[in-house]
Amino acid sequence: MENDDIDSNINTEESSNESSDDDFSIDFTTSSAISSVGLKFLVLYIPIFWFSGLVVATFWYGYAAGSTFWIIKLLYLPLFLLSLMFLFIFTSFFFCKLLLILINLMCVPKEGIFRIDTKDPNFEFWKLRIELKKIVLWFLRNWPLPWLDVLAFRFFGVKIDFSSHLNDAWVDCEFIEFGNNITVGQGAVLMSSMIVGNFLIIKKITLDDFSLIGGQSTIAPGTHFGKDTVLGAVSVTTLNQRLEDGWIYGGIPARKFKPNKYAEERTSTIHKVDVDEEEKVEVEYDINIDENKRKFLKRGSKE
Amino acid sequence: MSVPNSMRVGPFCASVLVKKRYLFLYIFLIWISILPGLLELWAYWQALWNDVRPLFFYVYLPLLLLAIYITTVIAAIIFTKMVLIVINILHKPKEGVFLRHPSDKDYRYWSLRNTIKKWPTWLSHKFPFPFLDNLCFKVFNVKTTFSNSLFEGWVDTEFISFGKNVVCGQGAIIQSSVIIGNFLIIRKTIIEDNVRIGAHVIVMPGTHIGRNSILNTWSSTMIGQELEEGWIYNGGPAKKFKKNRFFEDIPIEKLSQKVGDYEGLLKKYDEQYVKREVKKRRLLEKNIKPSFHLKDRLHLRKDKDNDDEN
Repeated sequence: MENDDIDSNINTEESSNESSDDDFSIDFTTSSAISSVGLKFLVLYIPIFWFSGLVVATFWYGYAAGSTFWIIKLLYLPLFLLSLMFLFIFTSFFFCKLLLILINLMCVPKEGIFRIDTKDPNFEFWKLRIELKKIVLWFLRNWPLPWLDVLAFRFFGVKIDFSSHLNDAWVDCEFIEFGNNITVGQGAVLMSSMIVGNFLIIKKITLDDFSLIGGQSTIAPGTHFGKDTVLGAVSVTTLNQRLEDGWIYGGIPARKFKPNKYAEERTSTIHKVDVDEEEKVEVEYDINIDENKRKFLKRGSKE
Repeated sequence: MSVPNSMRVGPFCASVLVKKRYLFLYIFLIWISILPGLLELWAYWQALWNDVRPLFFYVYLPLLLLAIYITTVIAAIIFTKMVLIVINILHKPKEGVFLRHPSDKDYRYWSLRNTIKKWPTWLSHKFPFPFLDNLCFKVFNVKTTFSNSLFEGWVDTEFISFGKNVVCGQGAIIQSSVIIGNFLIIRKTIIEDNVRIGAHVIVMPGTHIGRNSILNTWSSTMIGQELEEGWIYNGGPAKKFKKNRFFEDIPIEKLSQKVGDYEGLLKKYDEQYVKREVKKRRLLEKNIKPSFHLKDRLHLRKDKDNDDEN
């Protein structure tokens, strides 16, 4: 039995029945993947599917019944099918948004800690919102242009633009604020809600410009990413953690690793353009800056 | 809550031996499970198609397509179950350690079972709601309820039993079979009521997770590990982090959202790893070599197995 001691019996002597503040502090991270969805939610799903299907069917009827020569019809068919898919997704967007507005009138989404209980409206409506949004995101990520899911996020009121991408990660689609040029790694989990025991925690995540999240890392609710912050792969942030500007973080839980020198180079080079030392900048830029950032420099040098 | 587009394959068993003759069975299942949906479409066409006024045909078409999809999934589950019953009569699935080689009958049948199950699980996982997924698990003899969420991670489809209200996090892996070197190990995994499994957690075969326990993100369990009820676990292999009081009926104000002393927290996390090292060194000083041999792990639940045989 000596071997088993190593694994299991190390912390047993610490067990005590007294309660302290430490017992109730949430210094660990779990998940937000609850799907104890009642069949009642399916009632909302069928009309969305039906109505957006009707719009698509109307367009298809117009195409099939049109009097164009059949070879031309056949030639345009793939393009038409793709646009029908897009049309289907966008009409389902529209009906989802309508339902969401109604639902949000009934119960305003808000941050805080709620009990997991069918009597608590906050918890029930949180589930409902997530299931509604899931349909659209599902369609967008299953069609041939998955990076368009940014459109869905924008439509649902998340601040984000096309300079950042998140189509290879689990991302909650509410209470998240993105800056510009953000990269979210493969398999990362960005949670604005978390389930701890019998409680649901909802807290906003904010990501500032040029922040980078490594693959398979987990972001807890309430995390703030500063400008130029890098979080390494396989790292976890705790609840309400603030990551400072221009640092590289890593580990479980995330801790400071080293200052982000790569970001300094970028900012300093662009800074020199403003000073108008044109020749120096050209040399500098050849070494440091990649192709897609050329436009920043050119704009600066013209001025 | 959106599944990454490169990770929507559904429950999956890594490194399954796929033989050509299994592929025939697989294609046969795909073929036969699409047939009922086509039959439905044909009946619909006969009933509602009208050359002059095709309005009604188009009005109910979206609903029909949804129904056809669900019928296809259910047909796939039923036909796969029928094939599985025949296979399980030929060779009963059992726990244990097997050689990972085509000459081993257990390994051969294990990969056959998983190849066949792939089609219905993949199909039901493509549906954005978790109902079909849970139905799929239930039919394949995984003990689970419809309130469980096993949708976001990878869960094996045999030798697992779930309690009520289990939450399985994003990207978590819950296995009942694992390949180590040249061996295939199959052990029954038991997860009891109200277990909250964090994101990216790896649960190995033979793990027994007690009631009301929480697994921190990125923790992993070992083969045959027993996790006690009512604790929060952390690290790999999972160790006790603190007592779980979040299932008690406490007022919401009492939960502190701020981690007060962050340095202290880092120490708390680090201590677990240090303690393990200290314990190991103490054993070495006593000239007891800590053995991590597979044989020792598999005998952790030896007593239980003996009871079952009797």
